[in-house]
Amino acid sequence: MAGLRGVSRPARSLPLSQLSRPACLAYPAYLTCSRRSVSTQAAESPAVLRDLETDSTLGAPQLSPDEKRQFKPWKRAADRKGFGLPGSRYQFHPPKYNRGPLHPIQSPPSSDPTARDFVPGPFNMPRLRQTYQATIASDIMTLAYNHIPPGTPSREQPERLRDWDGSSEYHKNRPKRGPRGSPVLPLVEQNITFRNIPEITEVTIASYAPQAAKDPEHLLVARTILLAITGTTPEITRTKSSVVQWGIIEGQRAGVKTTIHGNAAYEFLDRCIHIVFPRIKDWKGIRATTGDSSGNLAFGFTPEEVALFPEIEVNYDMYPSKMIPGCRVFVKTTATSDRQARLLLQTMGVPFYGEIRN
Amino acid sequence: MFFALSNLRGLASRLFSRPALLPTTTTTITTRPFTTTLPSMASKPAAKPPSKKAAAGAAKSKASRRVAERDPKIVNMLQHFAALSPRRIPAPLRMGRNRHLRHWTIHRAWLLFRRRARKERERTLMRQQQSMSAACEELRLTEGPGTRDMGYLYRVAMEKKGVYGLHGVPIEYARAQTDTPARVPWNHEWKA
Repeated sequence: MAGLRGVSRPARSLPLSQLSRPACLAYPAYLTCSRRSVSTQAAESPAVLRDLETDSTLGAPQLSPDEKRQFKPWKRAADRKGFGLPGSRYQFHPPKYNRGPLHPIQSPPSSDPTARDFVPGPFNMPRLRQTYQATIASDIMTLAYNHIPPGTPSREQPERLRDWDGSSEYHKNRPKRGPRGSPVLPLVEQNITFRNIPEITEVTIASYAPQAAKDPEHLLVARTILLAITGTTPEITRTKSSVVQWGIIEGQRAGVKTTIHGNAAYEFLDRCIHIVFPRIKDWKGIRATTGDSSGNLAFGFTPEEVALFPEIEVNYDMYPSKMIPGCRVFVKTTATSDRQARLLLQTMGVPFYGEIRN
Repeated sequence: MFFALSNLRGLASRLFSRPALLPTTTTTITTRPFTTTLPSMASKPAAKPPSKKAAAGAAKSKASRRVAERDPKIVNMLQHFAALSPRRIPAPLRMGRNRHLRHWTIHRAWLLFRRRARKERERTLMRQQQSMSAACEELRLTEGPGTRDMGYLYRVAMEKKGVYGLHGVPIEYARAQTDTPARVPWNHEWKA
């Protein structure tokens, strides 16, 4: 290294200079050289110290008084125009509106405290998530471990999308057809491995209030209840189709929904499992037939059960008791099948009952 | 000279600013144009209690009357949602350069910490899976106890009887971790 002192910095990091050194230097001295002598120790340095600058600022030549007088960094900074740092007074204002991805004015990332959607935190670790990470994840992995002996040929997945017979010229490059009977293509179940342990991603809570067509205050109460339960402002949903017998018309504002992700989802499930479920009278559990066969489970609360949530119960008198709606809860997981998702919720303390389908 | 520092703080601003909190006499005196009579001497007009009908008819519009007839619980909820409306969202935080840089540094450190923790967790899980795999491979190539053939123990170990059933996981397993766990692990007498 001492010989390289005169070389410029980029040249010092060239691989050539490393090659020219003895091979012993590439590894720590105690690994390669069985005998260490004082002279070689002084010449060579271990790999971790190789990036250190050997030059010292103390060796730099002293400035003459004349040079010192002419050294005015503040003046250079003041004369610099256009490309200097911004002043210490705050100047940047994040845009109020999102004008699309192609607009030159873009919001800073939400982690930036000056961003308008910045949310400080997280301030706590949800205990359900803590439990999941500490015990549940590895237990699920162990419970569902499926050994594949090395050398086993991987099984071919049958084609799930239907191919076009090449009877027409126009079949070339045409996208394949979906499965027969249903437009939905459910997920294929994957083995649970250490990279693929089911986990809770988000929880969607929806409440349907068809009475809102006549009395819009039902909608307001439903929004307030979901706001209290989840801590997010819910959005209003509309009916999809008209049904004369039920007296609903397409496009009516007749429900609210909201989605919570990550930590908030864990906190919500924690409250459900440890506070609400145990206090429901004669509760058997969640029906085991629930699920969309892709690892998302759902359950519901009646109005009386919604009132058991601590956020509602603490000021129950604030809500008109006859207008409190029931709600449906959709738990979305990274599991690829319902049984894996059920296993995840069972380890978190949700009992299931009834028939098992998939 | 004994001055508490708190007394001196903001001295200049106190000297030069208008004393807003001091009671001013001018506000109490009602101005009466075209008269030389002192306000204290002037005869006061007889204070009539305002009739309810007239006040309601004149001051309140139709809409406000409708609001008044509403359930106060509903009014309360409406007010809460009005406070949450996008027009009421407070201005973004403003930070000086150094403070912003400090925040940025802390944020980067937090991301780094989180990534390390995640990697550590993944590594642990990977190790556990690999040791399970090694154990199963060992079992598969072992001739079982007594006269059992090779791989008997492996086949027994790979049986997944009831794992995905309704009682695959005992309910007592589901105890969320706490700093202060209960003395009695599970209360079997609990009735809702």
